Amino acid sequence: MTVTEDAPAAVSAASEPPAAVPANTGLAAILGSGDHKVVGRLWIVASLFHLLLAGAAALAVALERIDLSGVDVLDAEWFGPLYAYRSVGMAFLFLLPLTIGVATAIVPLQVGASTLAFPRAATAAAWSYLLAGGLLVGSILIEGGPYGTDVDGVRLFVVSFALVLVAQAVAWVCIATTVLSLRVPGMSMRRVPLFAWSNLVAATAWLITLPVLAAVTVLAYLDIRYGGVGGFFGGGEQTLYARISWVFGTPTVYAFAIPALGVIASIIPVFAQTRHQRHGVAQGLIAAFGALSVGVWAMPGYGADPYAWLYEGPWVAVSFAIALPLLGLIGLWALTGVKGRLSASSPLLFAGAAVLMLLVGVVAGAVQAVEPLETLVDEGATPLYSTSWSASVAGYVGLATAIALLGGVVYWAPKLVGRTFAEGPTRLMAIVLLAGTVLWAFPELIAGLMGQAALPLVEVAENVSTIEALNLVTLVGGVVLALGVAGLVALFAAAARRDEQPGDDPWSGHTLEWATSSPPPYGNFASLPEVTSEAPLYDARHRSEEGSA
Amino acid sequence: MSAVATTTPSPIVTAPPPPPRRPRVLTVAAAFGSVASGLVVLTMLGVYLQVRGERLADGVPALPEDVVLPLTPGNMGLATLAMSVVTVAWLSYSLRNEDRTHAYLALGVSILLGAAFINATAYLYQQLEMPFTMTGTSGLLYAVTGAHLVMTFAGLVFLAVMGFQALGGQLTGRDAEGMSAAALYWYVTVAVYLPVWYGIYVTK
Repeated sequence: MTVTEDAPAAVSAASEPPAAVPANTGLAAILGSGDHKVVGRLWIVASLFHLLLAGAAALAVALERIDLSGVDVLDAEWFGPLYAYRSVGMAFLFLLPLTIGVATAIVPLQVGASTLAFPRAATAAAWSYLLAGGLLVGSILIEGGPYGTDVDGVRLFVVSFALVLVAQAVAWVCIATTVLSLRVPGMSMRRVPLFAWSNLVAATAWLITLPVLAAVTVLAYLDIRYGGVGGFFGGGEQTLYARISWVFGTPTVYAFAIPALGVIASIIPVFAQTRHQRHGVAQGLIAAFGALSVGVWAMPGYGADPYAWLYEGPWVAVSFAIALPLLGLIGLWALTGVKGRLSASSPLLFAGAAVLMLLVGVVAGAVQAVEPLETLVDEGATPLYSTSWSASVAGYVGLATAIALLGGVVYWAPKLVGRTFAEGPTRLMAIVLLAGTVLWAFPELIAGLMGQAALPLVEVAENVSTIEALNLVTLVGGVVLALGVAGLVALFAAAARRDEQPGDDPWSGHTLEWATSSPPPYGNFASLPEVTSEAPLYDARHRSEEGSA
Repeated sequence: MSAVATTTPSPIVTAPPPPPRRPRVLTVAAAFGSVASGLVVLTMLGVYLQVRGERLADGVPALPEDVVLPLTPGNMGLATLAMSVVTVAWLSYSLRNEDRTHAYLALGVSILLGAAFINATAYLYQQLEMPFTMTGTSGLLYAVTGAHLVMTFAGLVFLAVMGFQALGGQLTGRDAEGMSAAALYWYVTVAVYLPVWYGIYVTK
């Protein structure tokens, strides 16, 4: 008996499309929408607004550090809160929300789903983030926050920060559930595109990290609210920044970069015009990078030695081991480039810049884990971890992630806004951002080596003029970064206003998000190609080319 | 023979395709949510144990000297939650088998046991007569057990909503995923109570 059956040309989306297109338009369409593209854009735009604020704080702190004789430019009571805000704002109001925004908009498309899992919860998370982010900024403005002098402001900071964490945890649950449960038939876990996969890994890492950070934040609130001066179990307001700043140190800081790996891994094969080499190995390497970046065990304790893990075996081992999956991925990307024909398009330039900066950050993170390496200037055995070297590591990793995600916005702009960026100026912005990152972070490495402390308001004893000169270069780097981001935002706005339609698949993409219109309709897909590998559109294109030949 | 074979459709081929597997979104999300909630409680417990250890190392009692932390309410709480694991499993089983009578009974008993646990903890607080701000450990004790109470309350609400949805006919026996998700959350809530019980009530 022979029964033959043609392979289905198309399969339905992984989940049933919504019944009807929502009738709301204008502001109501944004306020009341559960469409993941709208929610994703909300996260992205809000995160860019917070980048503006946190960037201004970072520039103000950098300006203050040009002269180390005291706090001259800013109000002295503002310096500490602003210093803390630039880190908290950059990480939790800009970088993670930008990641969540791009993931919310793109991941359902990549896995062939008609919607994000729990769209109402995702919408609630986005609005909670907007509200809590506003409250957090307000707390800084009334001199609250870490090192703040206004007690109510400090409490407001802690509460709003906890709400930001809860909102982001909910958003990660929606993204992870989408990847695990709403994949189109045929897309096994081995075939999940690398950006969606990296977000599943990141969601897992952050859903381990954020609850721990939230618990510590709640305890910090109780300490400050009921413990009086000094707190009753943790030092009160003075230790607030130490309680939360471990997320900016190694290894947790690497968790920010997990989705960046996915963005880079999505861009390189498309612009090399070949499939990603060893897709399964790449999945394993991203998972290993994510597992090593879970650093909840490396947070300050409440005992006599809060940093008991510092320079101990596990911390040193993780600091070095995390370079291995990154190097493996770089090897695979190089192999992909060699197998194909690379074309230097703007997303590829962003990806290349991000890889370079991330590699420097990971190597610098490994160097600071070597205990015998101390600052060059004093005999007080000051380890590199307590200097601005560690701030530079966070700077490299954070900025590499930001560059990768902004490259992702450029790459997926047809799906986000239905337009493409102007290619020439966007390439220039990638180079400007790379230059800005080097100018911002590299002098901090050297200043750390010369003894500049990581924490604010710690007196620098030696090499003051050299460190001040290095801090001036850092400020210049900050200005260059600001110009790069401003240019990119202007290009984004210009792209959104252009009439020229990019077409459904302007880059000849490999994954399912390019199988629908630009921008995608409500419900995402009318039909989908058969998924028999991790690159279904690449397969379909080559099948049709072979058929026509 | 071969002609017959090619003209008579095989029952395997002509059988209707199986219904698409329902995406288990609620169960997956409940797994993530329960682990995240549990980590909040366990982090606080870790801080409590560290602060307690520091006090004991300094020769200071873990809790203020005039405070007696009775073991009985903690034990009762553990026994209550252990029983609720059985009743929640009974509830899930009854719903899967469309046994409404047993499902009603199991849901009622489960909610009763959960409420009894909350009552036992509230009674313990009353017995303790320990101000929140007395020492670091006193505040932390309330923080840890209070966080677990919040988790328990959330689990109860989740169970009740999913249970009544199923019994109201919105979820059928074949499709009672919401109940599985609520049960999963409840099991993790009970599991998290074990280290809380040992770390706070047993070791005092």
